[in-house]
Amino acid sequence: MDFLINITDIITHHGKAFLEAAWVTVSLTAVSLVMASVIGLVFAFFKVSGVFVLQKVADAYIFVVRGMPLIVQLMFLYYGISSVIVLSDFTAGALALGIHSGAYIAEIFRGSIQSIDRGQMEAARSLGMPYGLAMRRIVLPQAFKRAIPPLGNQFIIGLKDSSLVAYIAVTELFNRALSAQADNFMPFETYFVVGLYYLALVAIFSFILNRLEKRLDTSRTPLPTRKHKEVAA
Amino acid sequence: MIKVRNLAKSFGSLQVLKNISLEIKKSEVVVLIGASGSGKSTLLRCLNFLEMKDSGEIEINNQVIDVKHTDLNKVREHVGMVFQHFNLFPHMTVLENVIEAPVHVKRKMKAEATEKAMQLLARVGLTDKAHVYPEQLSGGQKQRVAIARALALEPDVMLFDEPTSALDPELVGEVLATMKDLAREGMTMVVVTHEMSFAREVADRVIMLADGEMVEDAHPSVLFSNPQHDRTRRFLQQIL
Repeated sequence: MDFLINITDIITHHGKAFLEAAWVTVSLTAVSLVMASVIGLVFAFFKVSGVFVLQKVADAYIFVVRGMPLIVQLMFLYYGISSVIVLSDFTAGALALGIHSGAYIAEIFRGSIQSIDRGQMEAARSLGMPYGLAMRRIVLPQAFKRAIPPLGNQFIIGLKDSSLVAYIAVTELFNRALSAQADNFMPFETYFVVGLYYLALVAIFSFILNRLEKRLDTSRTPLPTRKHKEVAA
Repeated sequence: MIKVRNLAKSFGSLQVLKNISLEIKKSEVVVLIGASGSGKSTLLRCLNFLEMKDSGEIEINNQVIDVKHTDLNKVREHVGMVFQHFNLFPHMTVLENVIEAPVHVKRKMKAEATEKAMQLLARVGLTDKAHVYPEQLSGGQKQRVAIARALALEPDVMLFDEPTSALDPELVGEVLATMKDLAREGMTMVVVTHEMSFAREVADRVIMLADGEMVEDAHPSVLFSNPQHDRTRRFLQQIL
Protein backbone atom coordinates (compact mmCIF):
# COMPACT_ATOMS: atom_id res chain seq x y z
CA MET A 1 0.00 0.00 0.00
CA ASP A 2 2.80 2.36 0.93
CA PHE A 3 4.44 1.56 -2.35
CA LEU A 4 1.39 2.68 -4.34
CA ILE A 5 1.02 5.83 -2.28
CA ASN A 6 4.67 6.66 -2.79
CA ILE A 7 4.39 6.11 -6.49
CA THR A 8 1.37 8.35 -6.76
CA ASP A 9 3.29 10.88 -4.79
CA ILE A 10 6.25 10.71 -7.16
CA ILE A 11 4.07 11.00 -10.23
CA THR A 12 2.26 14.04 -8.88
CA HIS A 13 5.50 15.67 -7.77
CA HIS A 14 7.82 14.71 -10.61
CA GLY A 15 5.46 13.58 -13.36
CA LYS A 16 5.72 16.75 -15.36
CA ALA A 17 9.48 17.00 -14.93
CA PHE A 18 9.82 13.39 -16.00
CA LEU A 19 7.72 14.05 -19.07
CA GLU A 20 9.95 16.97 -20.05
CA ALA A 21 12.95 14.81 -19.38
CA ALA A 22 11.46 12.03 -21.50
CA TRP A 23 11.23 14.54 -24.33
CA VAL A 24 14.94 15.30 -23.90
CA THR A 25 15.61 11.55 -24.03
CA VAL A 26 13.60 11.25 -27.23
CA SER A 27 15.32 14.18 -28.96
CA LEU A 28 18.73 13.00 -27.80
CA THR A 29 17.99 9.53 -29.15
CA ALA A 30 16.61 10.85 -32.42
CA VAL A 31 19.57 13.15 -33.07
CA SER A 32 22.13 10.53 -32.11
CA LEU A 33 20.49 7.79 -34.17
CA VAL A 34 20.23 9.92 -37.30
CA MET A 35 23.90 10.70 -36.85
CA ALA A 36 24.67 7.03 -36.18
CA SER A 37 22.78 5.92 -39.29
CA VAL A 38 24.76 8.29 -41.50
CA ILE A 39 28.05 7.25 -39.88
CA GLY A 40 27.00 3.61 -40.11
CA LEU A 41 26.14 3.84 -43.78
CA VAL A 42 29.41 5.57 -44.64
CA PHE A 43 31.53 3.02 -42.78
CA ALA A 44 29.48 0.13 -44.19
CA PHE A 45 30.34 1.45 -47.66
CA PHE A 46 33.98 1.61 -46.62
CA LYS A 47 33.81 -2.02 -45.59
CA VAL A 48 32.26 -3.29 -48.82
CA SER A 49 34.22 -0.90 -51.05
CA GLY A 50 37.06 -3.33 -51.67
CA VAL A 51 39.46 -0.40 -51.11
CA PHE A 52 42.07 -1.55 -48.61
CA VAL A 53 42.64 1.79 -46.86
CA LEU A 54 38.92 2.48 -46.43
CA GLN A 55 38.33 -1.00 -45.09
CA LYS A 56 41.09 -0.58 -42.54
CA VAL A 57 39.75 2.80 -41.45
CA ALA A 58 36.31 1.26 -40.91
CA ASP A 59 37.83 -1.70 -39.08
CA ALA A 60 39.76 0.61 -36.77
CA TYR A 61 36.68 2.71 -35.98
CA ILE A 62 34.56 -0.33 -35.24
CA PHE A 63 37.32 -1.95 -33.19
CA VAL A 64 37.84 1.08 -30.97
CA VAL A 65 34.17 1.92 -30.48
CA ARG A 66 33.00 -1.61 -29.85
CA GLY A 67 35.97 -2.32 -27.65
CA MET A 68 35.23 0.21 -24.90
CA PRO A 69 32.28 0.76 -22.59
CA LEU A 70 30.00 3.56 -23.68
CA ILE A 71 30.36 5.35 -20.37
CA VAL A 72 34.14 5.53 -20.88
CA GLN A 73 33.72 6.93 -24.37
CA LEU A 74 31.15 9.37 -23.12
CA MET A 75 33.43 10.74 -20.41
CA PHE A 76 36.41 10.71 -22.72
CA LEU A 77 34.61 12.62 -25.45
CA TYR A 78 32.88 14.97 -23.05
CA TYR A 79 36.02 16.06 -21.30
CA GLY A 80 38.16 15.69 -24.41
CA ILE A 81 35.96 17.76 -26.69
CA SER A 82 34.98 20.36 -24.16
CA SER A 83 38.64 21.13 -23.55
CA VAL A 84 39.00 22.06 -27.22
CA ILE A 85 35.65 23.47 -28.29
CA VAL A 86 32.68 24.48 -26.20
CA LEU A 87 29.73 22.21 -26.85
CA SER A 88 26.48 22.13 -25.00
CA ASP A 89 26.03 19.07 -22.81
CA PHE A 90 23.26 17.93 -25.11
CA THR A 91 25.41 18.20 -28.24
CA ALA A 92 28.33 16.43 -26.62
CA GLY A 93 26.04 13.65 -25.44
CA ALA A 94 24.34 13.23 -28.80
CA LEU A 95 27.70 13.21 -30.55
CA ALA A 96 29.10 10.52 -28.28
CA LEU A 97 25.98 8.38 -28.55
CA GLY A 98 25.95 8.81 -32.33
CA ILE A 99 29.57 7.78 -32.71
CA HIS A 100 28.96 4.79 -30.48
CA SER A 101 25.82 3.46 -32.19
CA GLY A 102 27.37 4.22 -35.56
CA ALA A 103 29.82 1.36 -35.17
CA TYR A 104 27.08 -1.16 -34.55
CA ILE A 105 24.91 0.24 -37.30
CA ALA A 106 27.86 0.07 -39.72
CA GLU A 107 28.06 -3.65 -39.05
CA ILE A 108 24.32 -4.06 -39.49
CA PHE A 109 24.40 -2.27 -42.85
CA ARG A 110 27.50 -4.14 -43.98
CA GLY A 111 25.90 -7.46 -43.13
CA SER A 112 22.67 -6.64 -44.89
CA ILE A 113 24.44 -5.34 -48.02
CA GLN A 114 26.56 -8.47 -48.17
CA SER A 115 23.53 -10.67 -47.63
CA ILE A 116 22.04 -9.54 -50.95
CA ASP A 117 22.72 -12.16 -53.59
CA ARG A 118 25.68 -11.30 -55.83
CA GLY A 119 23.45 -12.01 -58.80
CA GLN A 120 21.54 -8.81 -58.10
CA MET A 121 24.62 -6.66 -58.60
CA GLU A 122 25.63 -8.72 -61.63
CA ALA A 123 22.22 -8.39 -63.24
CA ALA A 124 22.27 -4.64 -62.64
CA ARG A 125 25.77 -4.29 -64.07
CA SER A 126 24.82 -6.45 -67.06
CA LEU A 127 22.10 -3.90 -67.81
CA GLY A 128 24.72 -1.19 -68.11
CA MET A 129 24.20 0.29 -64.66
CA PRO A 130 27.33 1.83 -63.12
CA TYR A 131 28.31 0.50 -59.66
CA GLY A 132 26.90 3.48 -57.77
CA LEU A 133 23.55 3.39 -59.53
CA ALA A 134 23.28 -0.39 -59.12
CA MET A 135 24.03 0.02 -55.42
CA ARG A 136 21.47 2.78 -55.00
CA ARG A 137 18.66 1.36 -57.10
CA ILE A 138 19.07 -2.38 -56.68
CA VAL A 139 21.19 -3.46 -53.70
CA LEU A 140 20.49 -0.82 -51.06
CA PRO A 141 16.69 -0.91 -51.14
CA GLN A 142 16.80 -4.65 -50.56
CA ALA A 143 19.58 -4.39 -48.00
CA PHE A 144 17.76 -1.65 -46.14
CA LYS A 145 14.65 -3.76 -45.85
CA ARG A 146 16.69 -6.59 -44.42
CA ALA A 147 18.45 -4.22 -42.02
CA ILE A 148 15.26 -2.99 -40.38
CA PRO A 149 14.79 -5.69 -37.72
CA PRO A 150 18.39 -5.54 -36.42
CA LEU A 151 18.35 -1.78 -36.87
CA GLY A 152 15.22 -1.53 -34.76
CA ASN A 153 16.94 -3.58 -32.12
CA GLN A 154 19.93 -1.25 -32.22
CA PHE A 155 17.68 1.80 -32.04
CA ILE A 156 16.06 0.48 -28.88
CA ILE A 157 19.49 -0.14 -27.39
CA GLY A 158 20.38 3.43 -28.40
CA LEU A 159 17.32 4.78 -26.65
CA LYS A 160 18.17 3.00 -23.42
CA ASP A 161 21.88 3.80 -23.67
CA SER A 162 21.01 7.48 -23.80
CA SER A 163 20.41 7.20 -20.04
CA LEU A 164 24.17 7.22 -19.56
CA VAL A 165 24.45 10.87 -20.56
CA ALA A 166 22.86 11.60 -17.20
CA TYR A 167 26.44 11.49 -15.97
CA ILE A 168 27.50 14.36 -18.19
CA ALA A 169 24.77 16.59 -16.81
CA VAL A 170 22.21 16.27 -19.60
CA THR A 171 18.86 16.56 -17.88
CA GLU A 172 17.21 13.64 -19.56
CA LEU A 173 15.04 11.00 -17.94
CA PHE A 174 17.59 9.14 -15.88
CA ASN A 175 19.30 12.32 -14.79
CA ARG A 176 15.97 13.55 -13.46
CA ALA A 177 15.49 10.26 -11.65
CA LEU A 178 18.86 10.65 -9.97
CA SER A 179 18.01 14.07 -8.63
CA ALA A 180 14.44 13.14 -7.75
CA GLN A 181 15.45 10.21 -5.59
CA ALA A 182 18.08 12.35 -3.87
CA ASP A 183 15.23 14.73 -3.13
CA ASN A 184 12.52 12.39 -1.95
CA PHE A 185 14.60 9.56 -0.43
CA MET A 186 12.53 6.99 -2.31
CA PRO A 187 15.01 5.46 -4.75
CA PHE A 188 13.08 2.22 -5.24
CA GLU A 189 9.82 3.92 -6.19
CA THR A 190 11.53 6.62 -8.25
CA TYR A 191 13.43 4.14 -10.39
CA PHE A 192 10.29 2.08 -10.72
CA VAL A 193 8.43 5.05 -12.18
CA VAL A 194 11.32 5.98 -14.45
CA GLY A 195 11.48 2.39 -15.60
CA LEU A 196 7.85 2.67 -16.66
CA TYR A 197 8.64 5.81 -18.62
CA TYR A 198 11.40 4.00 -20.50
CA LEU A 199 9.12 1.04 -21.08
CA ALA A 200 6.50 3.33 -22.59
CA LEU A 201 9.06 5.00 -24.85
CA VAL A 202 10.37 1.65 -26.08
CA ALA A 203 6.82 0.45 -26.68
CA ILE A 204 6.08 3.46 -28.88
CA PHE A 205 9.39 2.99 -30.67
CA SER A 206 8.73 -0.70 -31.32
CA PHE A 207 5.28 0.07 -32.62
CA ILE A 208 6.63 2.56 -35.16
CA LEU A 209 9.38 0.16 -36.23
CA ASN A 210 6.90 -2.67 -36.71
CA ARG A 211 4.70 -0.50 -38.86
CA LEU A 212 7.69 0.56 -40.93
CA GLU A 213 8.78 -3.03 -41.40
CA LYS A 214 5.35 -4.08 -42.59
CA ARG A 215 5.02 -1.15 -44.93
CA LEU A 216 8.33 -1.81 -46.62
CA ASP A 217 7.59 -5.48 -47.01
CA THR A 218 5.69 -5.19 -50.26
CA SER A 219 7.16 -8.00 -52.26
CA ARG A 220 6.72 -10.75 -49.76
CA THR A 221 3.53 -12.64 -49.24
CA PRO A 222 3.08 -13.74 -45.64
CA LEU A 223 3.86 -17.31 -44.71
CA PRO A 224 0.70 -19.33 -44.38
CA THR A 225 -0.47 -19.50 -40.83
CA ARG A 226 -1.35 -22.72 -39.14
CA LYS A 227 -5.02 -22.11 -39.78
CA HIS A 228 -4.48 -21.75 -43.51
CA LYS A 229 -2.54 -24.95 -43.62
CA GLU A 230 -5.25 -26.86 -41.88
CA VAL A 231 -7.85 -25.51 -44.24
CA ALA A 232 -5.66 -26.44 -47.19
CA ALA A 233 -5.20 -29.94 -45.83
CA MET B 1 29.77 -8.89 -84.23
CA ILE B 2 31.98 -10.47 -81.58
CA LYS B 3 35.58 -11.46 -82.11
CA VAL B 4 37.64 -13.14 -79.44
CA ARG B 5 41.36 -13.62 -79.86
CA ASN B 6 43.61 -15.66 -77.59
CA LEU B 7 41.43 -15.15 -74.54
CA ALA B 8 42.84 -16.53 -71.31
CA LYS B 9 41.48 -16.42 -67.79
CA SER B 10 42.59 -17.93 -64.51
CA PHE B 11 41.10 -18.06 -61.06
CA GLY B 12 44.15 -18.25 -58.84
CA SER B 13 46.24 -21.14 -60.09
CA LEU B 14 43.36 -22.69 -62.00
CA GLN B 15 43.39 -21.79 -65.65
CA VAL B 16 39.75 -21.75 -66.71
CA LEU B 17 40.16 -20.48 -70.26
CA LYS B 18 43.19 -21.19 -72.41
CA ASN B 19 43.78 -19.32 -75.60
CA ILE B 20 40.20 -19.11 -76.85
CA SER B 21 39.63 -17.60 -80.28
CA LEU B 22 36.28 -17.39 -81.96
CA GLU B 23 34.10 -15.17 -84.05
CA ILE B 24 30.36 -14.72 -83.82
CA LYS B 25 28.60 -13.16 -86.76
CA LYS B 26 25.46 -11.09 -86.76
CA SER B 27 22.28 -13.16 -86.34
CA GLU B 28 24.25 -16.25 -85.53
CA VAL B 29 23.12 -18.55 -82.74
CA VAL B 30 26.08 -20.19 -81.06
CA VAL B 31 25.61 -22.81 -78.39
CA LEU B 32 28.41 -23.56 -75.95
CA ILE B 33 28.45 -27.04 -74.51
CA GLY B 34 30.83 -28.88 -72.24
CA ALA B 35 31.10 -30.52 -68.85
CA SER B 36 30.81 -28.37 -65.75
CA GLY B 37 34.09 -26.62 -65.12
CA SER B 38 34.94 -26.59 -68.80
CA GLY B 39 34.89 -22.80 -68.82
CA LYS B 40 31.77 -22.16 -70.87
CA SER B 41 30.09 -19.90 -68.33
CA THR B 42 33.32 -18.04 -67.72
CA LEU B 43 33.70 -17.45 -71.45
CA LEU B 44 30.19 -16.05 -71.58
CA ARG B 45 30.80 -13.81 -68.59
CA CYS B 46 34.02 -12.51 -70.15
CA LEU B 47 31.98 -11.34 -73.14
CA ASN B 48 30.15 -8.75 -71.08
CA PHE B 49 32.98 -8.18 -68.64
CA LEU B 50 31.33 -9.53 -65.53
CA GLU B 51 34.53 -11.51 -65.51
CA MET B 52 37.73 -9.75 -66.56
CA LYS B 53 40.00 -11.53 -68.99
CA ASP B 54 43.66 -11.96 -68.08
CA SER B 55 44.91 -11.68 -71.63
CA GLY B 56 43.73 -11.72 -75.19
CA GLU B 57 41.41 -9.45 -77.09
CA ILE B 58 37.65 -9.04 -77.23
CA GLU B 59 36.13 -7.07 -80.05
CA ILE B 60 32.46 -6.13 -80.02
CA ASN B 61 30.87 -4.27 -82.96
CA ASN B 62 34.31 -3.70 -84.49
CA GLN B 63 35.54 -2.04 -81.34
CA VAL B 64 38.38 -3.64 -79.41
CA ILE B 65 37.40 -3.40 -75.77
CA ASP B 66 40.15 -2.03 -73.62
CA VAL B 67 39.00 -2.66 -70.08
CA LYS B 68 40.81 0.41 -68.79
CA HIS B 69 39.65 2.92 -71.35
CA THR B 70 36.36 1.73 -72.78
CA ASP B 71 33.20 2.56 -70.86
CA LEU B 72 32.10 -0.97 -70.00
CA ASN B 73 28.64 0.24 -69.03
CA LYS B 74 28.13 1.41 -72.60
CA VAL B 75 29.38 -1.93 -73.92
CA ARG B 76 27.00 -3.82 -71.63
CA GLU B 77 24.04 -1.86 -72.98
CA HIS B 78 24.66 -3.65 -76.24
CA VAL B 79 25.19 -7.07 -74.72
CA GLY B 80 22.14 -8.49 -72.96
CA MET B 81 22.55 -11.23 -70.40
CA VAL B 82 20.17 -13.84 -69.02
CA PHE B 83 21.24 -15.71 -65.91
CA GLN B 84 20.62 -19.21 -64.64
CA HIS B 85 18.95 -17.89 -61.50
CA PHE B 86 17.02 -15.11 -63.27
CA ASN B 87 18.25 -12.41 -60.90
CA LEU B 88 15.10 -10.38 -61.19
CA PHE B 89 14.90 -7.44 -58.82
CA PRO B 90 12.52 -8.68 -56.11
CA HIS B 91 11.62 -5.22 -54.82
CA MET B 92 10.23 -4.15 -58.19
CA THR B 93 7.23 -5.31 -60.16
CA VAL B 94 7.70 -7.12 -63.44
CA LEU B 95 7.14 -3.90 -65.37
CA GLU B 96 9.52 -1.96 -63.13
CA ASN B 97 12.14 -4.64 -63.71
CA VAL B 98 11.84 -4.20 -67.45
CA ILE B 99 11.89 -0.39 -67.53
CA GLU B 100 14.64 -0.03 -64.91
CA ALA B 101 17.55 0.12 -67.33
CA PRO B 102 15.85 2.09 -70.11
CA VAL B 103 14.77 4.75 -67.61
CA HIS B 104 17.82 4.93 -65.38
CA VAL B 105 20.60 3.98 -67.77
CA LYS B 106 19.35 5.20 -71.14
CA ARG B 107 17.38 8.05 -69.57
CA LYS B 108 14.24 7.37 -71.54
CA MET B 109 10.94 8.86 -70.51
CA LYS B 110 8.97 6.56 -68.28
CA ALA B 111 5.91 6.53 -70.55
CA GLU B 112 7.97 5.61 -73.58
CA ALA B 113 9.85 2.90 -71.69
CA THR B 114 6.60 1.51 -70.33
CA GLU B 115 5.06 1.27 -73.77
CA LYS B 116 8.12 -0.56 -75.06
CA ALA B 117 8.15 -2.80 -71.98
CA MET B 118 4.53 -3.79 -72.48
CA GLN B 119 5.34 -4.78 -76.05
CA LEU B 120 8.21 -6.90 -74.79
CA LEU B 121 6.04 -8.49 -72.13
CA ALA B 122 3.48 -9.29 -74.80
CA ARG B 123 6.24 -10.89 -76.80
CA VAL B 124 7.16 -13.21 -73.95
CA GLY B 125 3.47 -13.75 -73.17
CA LEU B 126 3.33 -12.04 -69.77
CA THR B 127 1.25 -8.93 -70.28
CA ASP B 128 -1.07 -9.95 -67.45
CA LYS B 129 1.84 -10.19 -65.01
CA ALA B 130 3.13 -6.65 -65.54
CA HIS B 131 2.13 -5.43 -62.10
CA VAL B 132 2.98 -8.41 -59.93
CA TYR B 133 6.20 -8.95 -58.03
CA PRO B 134 8.67 -11.61 -59.23
CA GLU B 135 7.98 -13.74 -56.19
CA GLN B 136 4.52 -14.51 -57.48
CA LEU B 137 5.85 -15.93 -60.74
CA SER B 138 6.86 -19.45 -61.68
CA GLY B 139 10.49 -20.08 -62.67
CA GLY B 140 9.64 -20.13 -66.33
CA GLN B 141 7.77 -16.86 -66.08
CA LYS B 142 10.64 -15.31 -64.16
CA GLN B 143 13.08 -16.29 -66.85
CA ARG B 144 10.86 -14.86 -69.57
CA VAL B 145 10.69 -11.58 -67.65
CA ALA B 146 14.49 -11.66 -67.42
CA ILE B 147 14.65 -12.06 -71.18
CA ALA B 148 12.28 -9.12 -71.67
CA ARG B 149 14.35 -7.06 -69.25
CA ALA B 150 17.53 -7.75 -71.21
CA LEU B 151 15.78 -7.01 -74.52
CA ALA B 152 14.55 -3.66 -73.23
CA LEU B 153 17.96 -2.15 -73.94
CA GLU B 154 17.73 -3.35 -77.55
CA PRO B 155 21.01 -5.25 -77.35
CA ASP B 156 22.94 -6.39 -80.41
CA VAL B 157 23.66 -9.74 -78.86
CA MET B 158 22.09 -11.80 -76.09
CA LEU B 159 24.07 -14.05 -73.78
CA PHE B 160 22.26 -16.91 -72.03
CA ASP B 161 23.98 -18.58 -69.10
CA GLU B 162 22.21 -21.92 -68.59
CA PRO B 163 18.81 -20.23 -68.77
CA THR B 164 16.82 -23.41 -68.12
CA SER B 165 19.04 -25.21 -65.61
CA ALA B 166 17.23 -23.90 -62.55
CA LEU B 167 13.78 -24.68 -63.90
CA ASP B 168 11.42 -27.54 -63.20
CA PRO B 169 11.36 -29.79 -66.27
CA GLU B 170 7.84 -28.84 -67.29
CA LEU B 171 8.79 -25.14 -67.39
CA VAL B 172 11.82 -25.53 -69.66
CA GLY B 173 9.73 -25.57 -72.83
CA GLU B 174 8.21 -22.10 -72.47
CA VAL B 175 11.64 -20.49 -72.01
CA LEU B 176 13.15 -22.37 -74.93
CA ALA B 177 10.18 -21.36 -77.09
CA THR B 178 10.83 -17.71 -76.26
CA MET B 179 14.49 -18.15 -77.15
CA LYS B 180 13.61 -19.85 -80.42
CA ASP B 181 11.37 -16.92 -81.33
CA LEU B 182 14.25 -14.58 -80.65
CA ALA B 183 16.58 -16.62 -82.81
CA ARG B 184 14.04 -16.67 -85.63
CA GLU B 185 13.80 -12.88 -85.47
CA GLY B 186 17.51 -12.71 -86.14
CA MET B 187 18.92 -11.99 -82.69
CA THR B 188 22.58 -12.81 -82.29
CA MET B 189 22.75 -15.27 -79.43
CA VAL B 190 25.40 -17.07 -77.42
CA VAL B 191 23.86 -19.77 -75.29
CA VAL B 192 25.37 -21.99 -72.64
CA THR B 193 22.99 -24.88 -72.22
CA HIS B 194 22.54 -28.58 -71.68
CA GLU B 195 19.41 -28.62 -73.82
CA MET B 196 20.75 -30.52 -76.80
CA SER B 197 17.41 -30.48 -78.59
CA PHE B 198 17.55 -26.69 -78.55
CA ALA B 199 21.10 -26.75 -79.89
CA ARG B 200 20.16 -29.17 -82.60
CA GLU B 201 17.13 -27.21 -83.70
CA VAL B 202 18.25 -23.61 -83.38
CA ALA B 203 22.03 -23.35 -83.32
CA ASP B 204 24.06 -22.33 -86.32
CA ARG B 205 27.15 -23.58 -84.55
CA VAL B 206 27.85 -25.67 -81.51
CA ILE B 207 31.12 -25.20 -79.70
CA MET B 208 32.42 -27.90 -77.39
CA LEU B 209 34.63 -26.72 -74.56
CA ALA B 210 36.78 -28.97 -72.42
CA ASP B 211 39.29 -27.85 -69.80
CA GLY B 212 39.17 -24.29 -71.02
CA GLU B 213 39.83 -25.10 -74.65
CA MET B 214 37.61 -25.23 -77.69
CA VAL B 215 37.84 -28.80 -78.86
CA GLU B 216 35.20 -28.65 -81.54
CA ASP B 217 33.24 -26.01 -83.43
CA ALA B 218 30.74 -27.27 -85.96
CA HIS B 219 27.20 -27.17 -87.24
CA PRO B 220 24.95 -29.15 -84.89
CA SER B 221 24.12 -31.69 -87.59
CA VAL B 222 27.81 -32.50 -87.84
CA LEU B 223 28.74 -32.21 -84.20
CA PHE B 224 25.93 -34.36 -82.86
CA SER B 225 25.94 -37.07 -85.51
CA ASN B 226 29.60 -37.25 -86.24
CA PRO B 227 31.72 -35.69 -83.48
CA GLN B 228 35.34 -35.46 -84.52
CA HIS B 229 36.89 -35.23 -81.12
CA ASP B 230 37.00 -37.94 -78.51
CA ARG B 231 36.09 -35.51 -75.70
CA THR B 232 32.95 -34.47 -77.57
CA ARG B 233 31.99 -38.06 -78.20
CA ARG B 234 32.31 -38.99 -74.53
CA PHE B 235 30.47 -35.87 -73.38
CA LEU B 236 27.55 -36.50 -75.74
CA GLN B 237 27.37 -40.14 -74.69
CA GLN B 238 27.08 -39.08 -71.08
CA ILE B 239 24.27 -36.62 -71.54
CA LEU B 240 22.18 -38.01 -74.40
